[in-house]
Amino acid sequence: MDRYVTFLGHRVSHTDMVRAFVILSLSLSCIFITALSLERQVGMVYTQLFYFPILYATYFYPKKGLWVAGICALAFEVLSYLYVYPNAVDLISTTGQAILFILIAVVVSYFTEKVNTSEARYRSIFETSLMGIILFDQNSFRIKLTNAYAEKMLGYSEQELGSLNFPDLFASSDEQHRFFERFGSNEDISDFETRLITREKNLFWITLSWRRITDNMVSCSLIDINTRKNAEAAADEHFAQYKQVIESSPTGIIIVRDDKITYTNPSFTHFSGYSPAELLGKDLLKLIHEEDRVDFFPADTAGKEKAALPEIREYRFITKTGSVRLGTLFFTRISQKGVPAWLINLVDITEQEELKERIQQDNDRRRGIISTVAHELRTPLQPIMGYLNLLTQDPQTYGVTEETRAILDRCAKSVDRESQIINQMLELSVLDSGKIPLKYSAFRLFDMVKTIIDTGGYATKADLIVDVPEDVTMEADENKLSIVIDSMLSNAVNYSKPPRKIRVAYQFSSNEQMHRIAIQDNGVGITNSQLDEIFEPFQLPDSANMSRKYDRIGLSLSIAKKYIQMHGGYISVDSIVNLGSTFTLHIPRIRPREETNHGT
Amino acid sequence: MAHKILIVEDDQPILDLMDLLIRKLGYEPVLISNGFEALEIAKREPPALILLDIMMMPIDGWEVLEKVRSEENLKKVPVIIFSASPTIDEKMAKIEDPYLGVLKKPVSLNELKAGIEYFLA
Repeated sequence: MDRYVTFLGHRVSHTDMVRAFVILSLSLSCIFITALSLERQVGMVYTQLFYFPILYATYFYPKKGLWVAGICALAFEVLSYLYVYPNAVDLISTTGQAILFILIAVVVSYFTEKVNTSEARYRSIFETSLMGIILFDQNSFRIKLTNAYAEKMLGYSEQELGSLNFPDLFASSDEQHRFFERFGSNEDISDFETRLITREKNLFWITLSWRRITDNMVSCSLIDINTRKNAEAAADEHFAQYKQVIESSPTGIIIVRDDKITYTNPSFTHFSGYSPAELLGKDLLKLIHEEDRVDFFPADTAGKEKAALPEIREYRFITKTGSVRLGTLFFTRISQKGVPAWLINLVDITEQEELKERIQQDNDRRRGIISTVAHELRTPLQPIMGYLNLLTQDPQTYGVTEETRAILDRCAKSVDRESQIINQMLELSVLDSGKIPLKYSAFRLFDMVKTIIDTGGYATKADLIVDVPEDVTMEADENKLSIVIDSMLSNAVNYSKPPRKIRVAYQFSSNEQMHRIAIQDNGVGITNSQLDEIFEPFQLPDSANMSRKYDRIGLSLSIAKKYIQMHGGYISVDSIVNLGSTFTLHIPRIRPREETNHGT
Repeated sequence: MAHKILIVEDDQPILDLMDLLIRKLGYEPVLISNGFEALEIAKREPPALILLDIMMMPIDGWEVLEKVRSEENLKKVPVIIFSASPTIDEKMAKIEDPYLGVLKKPVSLNELKAGIEYFLA
């Protein structure tokens, strides 16, 4: 690098100073030699000496060189005049010489200028190129020259690069190895993608091109493709993700064009039992059970708004082994390379269906067992009940005393209870199987409540208030709802002591979705911790002692809860221990849709 | 002359009981524990009413009912299904027969009386 000094207010480089000194001393030497040879009459050999300073000056400074040539020519002319005057021939000769100086200077400066211009052009291309350029020695790989862009890319200064070998710039020894392999082929390369490492140890992608420009010099250009490579990597990753999702999806995925399978994922391949090669190009309909082939593809709704939603259908497939599998298919209209096609997702529901069937069978068997058990438990009750009836209704014939009769009455009650428990257990198990449909009808609530009270004799057991407007009609399963209200009243009686106060109230509110029927008692109440349990089968308030005290089994609430749930409603309980409980039945005014479907 | 009531029941203790109860109610019981046998007797001499158990071997009560109804002279004989089986309601819902009733075991004497009198009173 040049160093500069300030001389008479001008910034002058050392090189310029040295050159100016050389030009000056050469010019002075020439003038001195010329003067000396003219003085001694040595002849005209001296004139060529002037070419040195003139060529030197015009070569390095084409414009300023002309001045040097001019001054030299003038000095030569002046000297010649001093010594050869008035010899006309010599004068013409020296003048010719002086003119020759100028001409040579002009010619040299012209070409120098030209060379310099083109060099400047190349230099500017080299310096301002948006391509990194590195020249290195092909034997030692020592970096000889770099441009600004290469320096910027690599983060090194020119000197730092100058002290490195080209292969040092590669990101890894692998990349180096690949480079040497390609370089060893001795060809000019223009598409070598590799990764370099910057001074800050960042890796970046470039395309390398190189050319041997002389016997041992290689010019190498670097094009930054990092952005592209990163985008490609991101796209690759994206693609890989999609691919992974599709390939590992438990859902079978196929694309069908003109009835032929053009893509299948492993799930579908596995489902079908065929190999991917066998599936590609295969007519999809050949995999479908014959009876399901008609109208297999949904009606073509392409171009209509409806097409946005996939069509869902169930089909039987015949696998390679000939077995039948059941699949739910989701049809989506797509376009593959401009040609309409179907994207079909398949969910294998064979096992699900089998499982459903097995559960159904299990349920049926369970119902069968329960049914048999109920039958076997009830049958022996018949003789007991029958004989007890006989004895109590005709005491004289069988010699039954009044005291014995009282005992037999208690026995009969127990048989009744036993029978009732079996019925409730049976009812619950049937309800659990979910097979009982509701029989909806419209009826007047007041009439129903009145019938329940009359049948159950509740008016004699408690101080009963019925707060139900006579015009309230409901749509529900009358029989089931009356069982619920009956068991609520029965509980209210059983869990309280005289004087019993029971209130049945219809809570009216015009804009509510629910009928609300409250049954309020002044009984023992239920603690908060018991509230969750009372609706569970065989749970009683404090079952250990309460059950003995009140002699009841708690299946009626479980059944009541199920009945009300079947109506789409629920039962709420408010209770204060030792003050009483209120059970409120909430039943939708409008019957739920699912019940409508199989409500017959 | 008392009405004859055919009791088809394969459980001996119940058969013994029914003998007593039916007599007590003032009818004449005919006790049979086999469906085929019951059918033969009913065909020969139609009873006033049949009390029919369901869970029996070798043919169950429903089959007996079917065969009874296929006989011209038994079409209008009242039959009371007399069973402890919990599936009676499901079955009954499918049958339209004005001469068919149900009593679920265990049945009290009063219920039995009411049931029989519904048809025979």
